Amino acid sequence: MELAVSPGELVLITGASGCGKSTLALALAGLIPSRVHGELRGRVLFDGEPLSGLSPHEASQFVGLVFQNPNLQLINMTVQSEVAFGPENLALPQAEIAARVEWALDVTGMAGLRTATVATLSGGQKQRTAIAATLAMRPRLLVLDEPLSDLDPVGAQEVLGTLRRLAADEGTGVIVIEHRVDEVVPWADRIVLMDDGRIILDRPPRGVWDDVGPWIATGVGIPDVVRLAQALPDTFPAGAPLSVEEAIDALRGGWFEAALVGRQARRRSTRYDDGSAGSAYGRPGREPPQEVTDLPSGPNASPPVLSWQDVTVSFGGTRAVDDVSLAIRDDEWVALIGANGSGKSTLVGLSVGIGSPASGQVAFRGGPIKPGRIFEHAAHVALLLQAADEMLFATHVLAELEFGFKFRGKPKDPVLDVPGAIEFFGFGGLQEASPWELSQGGRQRLALAALLVGAPGVLVLDEPTTGQDADHLRAFLSLLDRIRERTGLTVITVTHDMRAVASRASRVVLLGDGEVKLDGPPSRVFARTAELARWGILAPPLARLQSALLGAPDEVLLSVRALVDAVLPYRPATLQAR
Amino acid sequence: MLHSLVARTVISYMLVFTVPMLLPLAFFKLVGLGGLRELVTYEAKDTPLHRLDPRLKVLYPVAMGILSILLTWSFMLIVFGLTLLPWFWLRPSRQRIRVLLVMVIGPALGGFWDQGLYYLPKPPIHFLYQFPWTISWMGSPGITTYGMVFGLEQSARVLVVVSTSMLILVSTDVGDFTWAFERFGAPPAMGFALTAALRFLPEMISRTTLVLRAVELRGYDLSRPRWYQVGRWLDYVRRAGRCVVLVTVPLLVGTLRGTTTMAMVADARGFGVNRKRGSLRVHKLTPVDIVGYAVLVVLVGGALVLHHYRIGARVYG
Repeated sequence: MELAVSPGELVLITGASGCGKSTLALALAGLIPSRVHGELRGRVLFDGEPLSGLSPHEASQFVGLVFQNPNLQLINMTVQSEVAFGPENLALPQAEIAARVEWALDVTGMAGLRTATVATLSGGQKQRTAIAATLAMRPRLLVLDEPLSDLDPVGAQEVLGTLRRLAADEGTGVIVIEHRVDEVVPWADRIVLMDDGRIILDRPPRGVWDDVGPWIATGVGIPDVVRLAQALPDTFPAGAPLSVEEAIDALRGGWFEAALVGRQARRRSTRYDDGSAGSAYGRPGREPPQEVTDLPSGPNASPPVLSWQDVTVSFGGTRAVDDVSLAIRDDEWVALIGANGSGKSTLVGLSVGIGSPASGQVAFRGGPIKPGRIFEHAAHVALLLQAADEMLFATHVLAELEFGFKFRGKPKDPVLDVPGAIEFFGFGGLQEASPWELSQGGRQRLALAALLVGAPGVLVLDEPTTGQDADHLRAFLSLLDRIRERTGLTVITVTHDMRAVASRASRVVLLGDGEVKLDGPPSRVFARTAELARWGILAPPLARLQSALLGAPDEVLLSVRALVDAVLPYRPATLQAR
Repeated sequence: MLHSLVARTVISYMLVFTVPMLLPLAFFKLVGLGGLRELVTYEAKDTPLHRLDPRLKVLYPVAMGILSILLTWSFMLIVFGLTLLPWFWLRPSRQRIRVLLVMVIGPALGGFWDQGLYYLPKPPIHFLYQFPWTISWMGSPGITTYGMVFGLEQSARVLVVVSTSMLILVSTDVGDFTWAFERFGAPPAMGFALTAALRFLPEMISRTTLVLRAVELRGYDLSRPRWYQVGRWLDYVRRAGRCVVLVTVPLLVGTLRGTTTMAMVADARGFGVNRKRGSLRVHKLTPVDIVGYAVLVVLVGGALVLHHYRIGARVYG
């Protein structure tokens, strides 16, 4: 591998899981082979001087590394002491340490939380503290390994803005290793695509998708606006846009915008003519508007499989869930979205008896869910934790699948039987293998399979797609599709991945400050881009594009294919001829 | 009837086992695994106690420990009372008070009870309740007043050290501990080890809670029977014991991964690059610090003087 990074440059390194991105980061920071066993051939040079021979703590003064999991890299109790830890190790004078801490906290927007205890921070704040702690070492090259994985979309943009400023104002070289390509590209100076330990593409963002072959081959996701530009090349004469804003600029005032506006007008007139409802309205007697139309409700709706009625959960003086009423019906695929700390995980935890509501009732098919009776309720509501590894307890795959039978007995009507699960999840020939021999994705599938060999009526997934590349994400979502196809299982997903929501969910519930703020089909909820942004959610790129072009649309199209199909009939004849 | 052998046997068994059974029950009901975090978690506040010189805070439990060893019972009570005063200054949360009370009073109560049963003075012995021969296999002839008083005394000595240590843990950022240790000449690695332990103990407890939830989500019954469901308690103990084996592997794997990352983070932040570390903290002695040091000197000095003149001094041997 040959790679060079200049001062003030922000480089995005991406590639499929396991392609060597994190290994590269560890090598750059001098942690291979001294801390992580391996053979290092070649040299890592800094300003022409070899970095490879230095010990990790010596190298740390040149290259700062922010690791993946912020929880494991915050060693101290408070934000301030965490940020000061590095400069203190360098035995700097007190005034210099104080200046560095001040600067790092300022740059990362954490100055207001300097005395806060690390344990009380949100995921995004922890991530920023980790970045600040590394910045305080004043490295001239900063390497961040998946810094966005625990961040909500708005938090991710804030962190990227910080990094951009750092590169531009301080001349720090920045390497961001990330799967969320479309979010980083607008901020990057260079894109590096890795495959199987090698760099297969290294160029500035402009034109990086002119040849999509390497991207498809590596399974790294191509941003939706790029795919739109590829579908309608004449509409984007300057080439593929790098951001939604660029796409908006390219489309504004053109036939595409006119086609979208015309389509919206026709749909609105058809709706009002046939007496159907308008774009959105609030729940009677409740402000602000919450419920977006098209959801089954009222006396004709089927009884809910899972429901929360006037539920409030408090931790100390803070209301994590505030008077929430929500009913999930059979066959729905509900995505629960919201910023970090909005109460999503607390709400779904209640569905299996984790946590105790201060008031209100949670019910499965009308039967109350009692707090603390996790074992009982898990038979009906299967909850796959984000840390799926923590859910594996047996010595081999087959024993893992049969684990629950020993305590609960075999269910009469399982969603999948054990042989069926082995075949369905692709564990054939691996029955005797240790779960720890499987890949991370394999372990997640095993934990999911083990839940489905019971007889749950609802499957709840807490952040199932975090840290997955586009290929693995697609595979996982397809797997869920097939499960639903085969079993008709109701699915609830807690997620920050708006692409996954847009492509699969039948209903989106937005939580903000512990309350339900929006509730409806994805096409309607994602049309409310301003409201989503207010609650820390960045709508999918196509939704933002349509929102900007249409003003305040009632609904948006969420796939490139649907959007292209909708506008193509209105393409000018001159372009059609070309 | 109460003097019959059967009644006396039943009463004796109840006396022997009530406290040992109440203690774990109190732990599960009032503290729980999650509550353990409250014991060692720093509570960021702006109280005079938080602002005290960290060196003074490190010396405080040590000094109180010395006093608890040197002084007699009656003087000990005064010392114990003194150690409680700063808690009013700190004003901890209710949750923390509940946890602290259970975790501190529980073992103390255990010690008090245990000594009452097994610490026997020279005859004649005054029994609060004398056990019949049917319970002689337990090795205790009955509960003695002398034993209980002795147990109370020993517990109070331990409580002095525990109370002062807890107070300091709750009101001192680990970074300040490290700073204080380094000012006393301790190597940075010692401060780092302390920091890592205190920072990750709550993390470890959180992870254990998560894994215990996960095992229940996988169908393992960890529900506790009600107190009156006596027949189910044995099964619960068996299930809980088996659960320890089940959760050990994921806990170990997670912890090992965590420590590896933490070691790399320490490297990446330059830990070990210098023998001496710098410090963000500058502590200028305040009048409160000076009063604190003076009180400490007076207390320890006074105790030594008293000890020298055999006033209020513990007699050994």
